[in-house]
Parts: sequence; structure tokens; C-alpha cells
Amino acid sequence: MKLNYSLVTRRTFLNTLFGGWIATFLAGSLYALWRGAFPTLGKEPDFVVLNKPGDYLDIPPNSTKPFAWGGKLGYIFKRADNTVVALKGVCSHMECNIVYKPENKRFYCPCHKGWFDEFGKNVEGPPPKPLEFFEYRVEDGKLLVHKKGIKVELPKA
Amino acid sequence: MNWFDERYDLSDLKALAKKKYVPVHRHDIWYYTGGVTLFLFIVQFVTGMVLAFYYVPYFEQAHKSIIEIVTKLNMGWFYRSLHHWGAQFAIGFLFIHLFGTLLLKSYRKPREFLWFSGFILLGIAIFFGLSGYFLLWDERAFAAVRVATGGAAALPVLGETIKAFLRGGIDVTGETLIRFYAFHVCVLPMATLALFGVHLFLVQYHGMSVPVSEQGKNLRQVPFFPNVLYKDLIFWLIVLGVVVTFATLLPPEIGNKADPLAPPPENVKPEWYFLFLFQTLKLFPGDILGLNGEVIAVVLVALAILFFFLIPFFDRRSQQDQRSPVFTVIGIAYLLYFVIMTIVGYFS
Repeated sequence: MKLNYSLVTRRTFLNTLFGGWIATFLAGSLYALWRGAFPTLGKEPDFVVLNKPGDYLDIPPNSTKPFAWGGKLGYIFKRADNTVVALKGVCSHMECNIVYKPENKRFYCPCHKGWFDEFGKNVEGPPPKPLEFFEYRVEDGKLLVHKKGIKVELPKA
Repeated sequence: MNWFDERYDLSDLKALAKKKYVPVHRHDIWYYTGGVTLFLFIVQFVTGMVLAFYYVPYFEQAHKSIIEIVTKLNMGWFYRSLHHWGAQFAIGFLFIHLFGTLLLKSYRKPREFLWFSGFILLGIAIFFGLSGYFLLWDERAFAAVRVATGGAAALPVLGETIKAFLRGGIDVTGETLIRFYAFHVCVLPMATLALFGVHLFLVQYHGMSVPVSEQGKNLRQVPFFPNVLYKDLIFWLIVLGVVVTFATLLPPEIGNKADPLAPPPENVKPEWYFLFLFQTLKLFPGDILGLNGEVIAVVLVALAILFFFLIPFFDRRSQQDQRSPVFTVIGIAYLLYFVIMTIVGYFS
């Protein structure tokens, strides 16, 4: 039966109904899949607390001591002039771990042959940015390493 | 056969098989590069199934489980070695197939979708390679995946999303290993089957492409069954012999277990099919006229690959079955860049 003044045919109506059903179903499924494919990302730590500060700070000049900055590599680095700094040991190019070369007084990334000087400046090769430095202080027998410009208070025991 | 014939009428299929003819000309050797890739993929699927019975996709045990596969499992060393060398040859033949198709302009109208499906299959194969060697969970694999996923983040707009999707977190961790295992044994094989189905169907639908230089000649046609198939089988047997020889004489190494806090080994290098990208990344300084060199490098590489992918649309002369020397030169340029950078990367 066809109505005289109907704007849509029965076929158009059904196609729209089922087409709409399929489109809604697919859109919802894809959105759910998209959400499911990404876990809660977490983030890099703002600070880490290390026991036995002496193990890190009393290293010989012109050497480094690694520590875990979350899942990444961090270094406590004593320059040849005895100044001590903390930095992230990850290349600013493609995130490979870097290594300190005492004979060159430079950090080196073996992945694409990038070099950083003692102050973390990218001096040679592909790294586009300097290394990231942290701040640190010793408090209650602990070494507290934190991101620059962040205030961290340790709970008083 | 009576039992079967009473139930199924195969005469249509037999007639279809009889109709399949392949033209003979001086470039027809390139027709065999696709088939051998299929054969090597079958080898990969089978050896991969065996390995999957024993491999443990958890970061604490992955490295050890591979050592146990090659030292304790019956024939385990052979399966791992065959899977390794099968992958190298599969990707090698894929590149040969790609450049053959490129230089013979087989991508031209009406076969654009053959080119696109094949190109995506190559991308899948390379991702197979990356995810496969990450499963070793050794120092080199760890560095390679950090670079590959970190490099993706340098892409504008979508970069960080892609990186998070690939890593399953902000870092390359045990989560990434599980994810890459899922890619390697589930997502990519399924995608390969689906896309290969399209690829193979399109080859049957369009028939074999004949190069422009051979078009219009009265080419002899030979039946696919059995003439071409037998030649295929001869070639597959030779390649299998070569792969098994490599697998037996040159079993692949496994490096030290990955340590996220240790620097990668000195002079670390990716698999050979990444060397041209690796060498390209080393060429770009960190700062180009005040801009971020890393981003420029990654964007340029992405654009070059995109152009390569879309070449059937750019090559207007080939679309009209005319000779297209400009695109021959472009094709050779791509080939030379790939070959030279691979060699430089290998020896650097």
C-alpha cells in the first residue's frame, strides 16, 4: 500500500532505519574499541626519593651514577669541577638511553650518534633539544630528586 | 571421488582454473616474486605457530623462554632460526616485488588497488618484523622499539596518540611487550589474511599486468595450471632450500636481556630493512635554521612514503598506457636511495 501524500517510500524508510541502525552500531563499537585500545597512561614522576644519598653524591669527579626516574633512566652526574647535578638520561632525539663518556666529558647516545656537553647542551648529531635537568636536595638522610620548579615536601615521620 | 562429486559440482571451478592464462614476455620473471612471498609467509605462519606454543610474552620470562626454546625444545633452535630467516627473505622478496611493480608500472590503471593493498601488506610485514624482534626482549630490540615508537611521536597532530597506542603507556615497558605480542600473533596475521585475500582476488580479477613496452605485441599465453604453477613450485623449493641452509648455518643471536635503565650497546643497529630510515635520521642535525631537525626528518620521511604510496595517482602518463620516463627515474631514485642508505647504514 502506498499513501498518496507520503514523502518517503516504504523502501526508503526501511533503508534509513536499518542504515541508521548499522551506522549507530558501528560508531558506538568503534568508539568503544578506540577507548579500549588505550590504557590509562599514567605520567612521569614529579620526584623520586633515593636512600643512601652518599652512594650517589660521593662519586668520583667526572662520573655518573644511574637511578630509576620512574621507568626511565636518571643520572646523578659529578662534573670534573666537582659540581653535582641530576638529569634525565634519555636522549632528546628518539628517547634512547644516553651514556657518559668521561674521556670526552660528554654524554653520548649510541642510537644515532648524538652528543651532549657537560651542561646537557646538544652539541653534535641529531638531538634537537638539550637534556632535561632536575633539582635535588638531601633531607632526613634521603636524596630527593625532583623536577625543576616543583615544590616537594616529604612527610615528617 | 564419486562421493564428493555427488554432493558438489566443481565443474565451474575447473573451468575457471583452465581459463587462467599468463602472458609470456621478457619481464615475466617478476611475476614470480609475489608467489614466493606468499610461500614464505606460509612458512612464517607455520613456524610461528610452533614457537607460540613455547614463547612466554611476559617481560620477566620472555628472554629466558627463547633461550629455552633454542636449547631445550626438540628442533626449537631450527624453528626459531627458520622463523628468523624466513622473515628476512619474506621482507627481501617483498621489496623486490615492490620495486619490480614500481619500475614496470604495474600499478597503473586499472590496478591501483593492487598497488595499495600490496603497499599496506609491506607496511604490515615491516611491523611484523619490528614486533617480532621486540619479542626477544634484548637490548637491541628495546632500543629499536623506543626509537620507532618515539619517532612516531615526532609526527605532527597524531604523533603522541600513535605513540601511546603502540606503547600502551608513556614508556616502553612490559605492557608494550604484551601489546606487541598481540600485534604479532593476532592483529597482524588477521590483517594479512584479509588484505592478502583482496590482493589475490584483484590479481585474478584483472589478470597479469603487461608492461607498456610489451603491450600491443602478440604475446604468447601459457596456462597457469600447470605451466606457471610448476615454475612457481620450482622457485619455492629453491628458496626453501636457501632459507633452510641459512637457518642451519647461521642461527640468529639473542642479545643481553633488555634493561630499561641501561644504555643500548655501542653501535646499536636495527634490522636491515630499517637501516635506510636509521641512516636518514642520523643525517639530519638537531637544528635546521632554527627548526626542530627531528620533526623535519620524520615529516619528510612520512611525505616521501606517502608520495610512494600514492604514485598511481601522480603518474598520469602511465594511467593512459604511455611510457612514463619521469616516473622510471623517480622509481630508480627511490630504489637507489633505499639500497645505498641500507649499505651505508650497514657499514657505518
